Amino acid sequence: MSSTDHPLVTSVCYVRLAIAELQAGARFASDIFGLQRVAGPDDEMAFRSDHRFRTVSFSSDANNGSSTGVEVWSESALDRIEKLLRDHDFVVTRATPDVCRRRHVRAALLAEDGSGNKIDLVVRPSQSGRRYFPSRDAGITCLHSVGLRSTDLDRDLEFWKVLGVQVRDWVGDIAYLQIDGFHHRVALYPAKRNGLLYAAFEVETLDSIMQNSYFMQESQVRIVQGPGREPCSEQMFLHVEGPDGVIFSYVNGMTEPGPMRRPARQFPLAPESLCSWGSESKDVPELSAGSV
Amino acid sequence: MINLRDVSYVRLGSPDLESAETFATSCLGLQVAERGKKALYLRSDERSHTLCYTEGDPADQSVGFEIEDEASLQQAATTLESLGHHVEAGSAEEAQKRKVRAFIGFRDPSGNHIELVVRPERNGRRYFATRDAGITGFSHIGLNSTDPARDERFWTQVCNARVSDRIGDIPLMRVSAIHHTIALVRATHAGIQHVNHQVQTSDDVLRSYYFLSERRVPIVFGPGRHPTSGARFLYFKGPDGMVFEYSVGVDEVADDASHQPRQFGFEPSSLCMWGSKPAGMELPTDR
Repeated sequence: MSSTDHPLVTSVCYVRLAIAELQAGARFASDIFGLQRVAGPDDEMAFRSDHRFRTVSFSSDANNGSSTGVEVWSESALDRIEKLLRDHDFVVTRATPDVCRRRHVRAALLAEDGSGNKIDLVVRPSQSGRRYFPSRDAGITCLHSVGLRSTDLDRDLEFWKVLGVQVRDWVGDIAYLQIDGFHHRVALYPAKRNGLLYAAFEVETLDSIMQNSYFMQESQVRIVQGPGREPCSEQMFLHVEGPDGVIFSYVNGMTEPGPMRRPARQFPLAPESLCSWGSESKDVPELSAGSV
Repeated sequence: MINLRDVSYVRLGSPDLESAETFATSCLGLQVAERGKKALYLRSDERSHTLCYTEGDPADQSVGFEIEDEASLQQAATTLESLGHHVEAGSAEEAQKRKVRAFIGFRDPSGNHIELVVRPERNGRRYFATRDAGITGFSHIGLNSTDPARDERFWTQVCNARVSDRIGDIPLMRVSAIHHTIALVRATHAGIQHVNHQVQTSDDVLRSYYFLSERRVPIVFGPGRHPTSGARFLYFKGPDGMVFEYSVGVDEVADDASHQPRQFGFEPSSLCMWGSKPAGMELPTDR
């Protein structure tokens, strides 16, 4: 892949969430979901899921506490993104050194998509020299992707297009966005409000998905959907209800189709387009394919 | 020694062949090979049949094992009789009903009715399922045992079975490279504890979990994964309380001579490494 034909961004690198009950959220993330709790500022609960320094943090800052971190190739790419987003009338702000420090990144543009989802476009997010060592054997290997609620799909797609990101497949108007070799790293779900729908964490094998499924049942944690398999990406998933209704997902097995060599495929908005095994979501409208 | 080559078929008595057929075709996913007046023949693979429902008492159950030829059959009869088993030679008509060349019947030490068969029929037409369950074939049985140590001796010393692994004192035994063909299950009475069909992928196991749940077929264990054989599995209940299993990914024992049976503790994690708990099926109990 030459330096000119890939997107200006490379991956999803963190999620920041403003939640109501910090302690309960922290217990969920470490004791239930199986992330590694790490030290952070007093007003923040921070977690690792892989080699990165941080991938999840919780705070009670309802105004600026929620955002999704997306890694940008370089500082020059960041400059380019800043200009392009401004040209397309998106709101962008250069992060102050203090904001960058709190996010453990070298530089950042704080942007908003068309729906008002806060996207941090960041350069050189910190890695950790210590290996990831979680509190429970959930089999997590990395933060893999996010699902975002979209109230203005056209404008959101424009936002990602500016970053060089393409739609790989459609389920109804749910758009799966390819960023790297994987089928998608971001999925946009038409919704009545904005916000993070899910943060998906890759696990080692189907065994991990199933073990976590029984673990959640025993722990009386609500499974929103799954175990299942997403037909268009072939990814197996288990969607678990996390703090404030945000879904934390275990995923495995997404295809890596490489560069786009065909138009985005259209799947109908139907339950079997979201799960080929037959699992259904009963009460999350974005995942219910119109059946709720 | 009686050389079992593979398990051939299961025969199950049932008072209601119509219900049995509905379940076998719309839930289990087998293909009807033949409907007799008092028998229903079902296919799951290249064989002419692997499951036969006969009109009658559900307690009438038989398992057929293939052996090499009629000479071996004679030798087997002699061996079994010398050990005090009552052996019945099948008539030509009975053999025809089983779609085999010849067979003998006897009871194992727990009282399970076993048939040794020669030249079970294959079918030239490929197996074509009635529903997309992904079945690749009939593979093994769970067999009740009133004394697993005694029955293990029977299957491994009188017959050629080898122990692949043990859970407590319950042996999983193979007659080929496939991890197990006979799984003993401690019980108070004789009987077939489950009938296993292999499926293509773990997707099939999970798909069937949702498919059967939706149709209110009682799921009695799984979806899960056996740490012994490595198989992903789903157990569910069919007509007359018979438990059927789908599984995929059963290990093979590569080198028969060097394989040392592994010992697993008698605990839930030895039966499922994912954490599923059996519900509503008879399970191996240790003592």
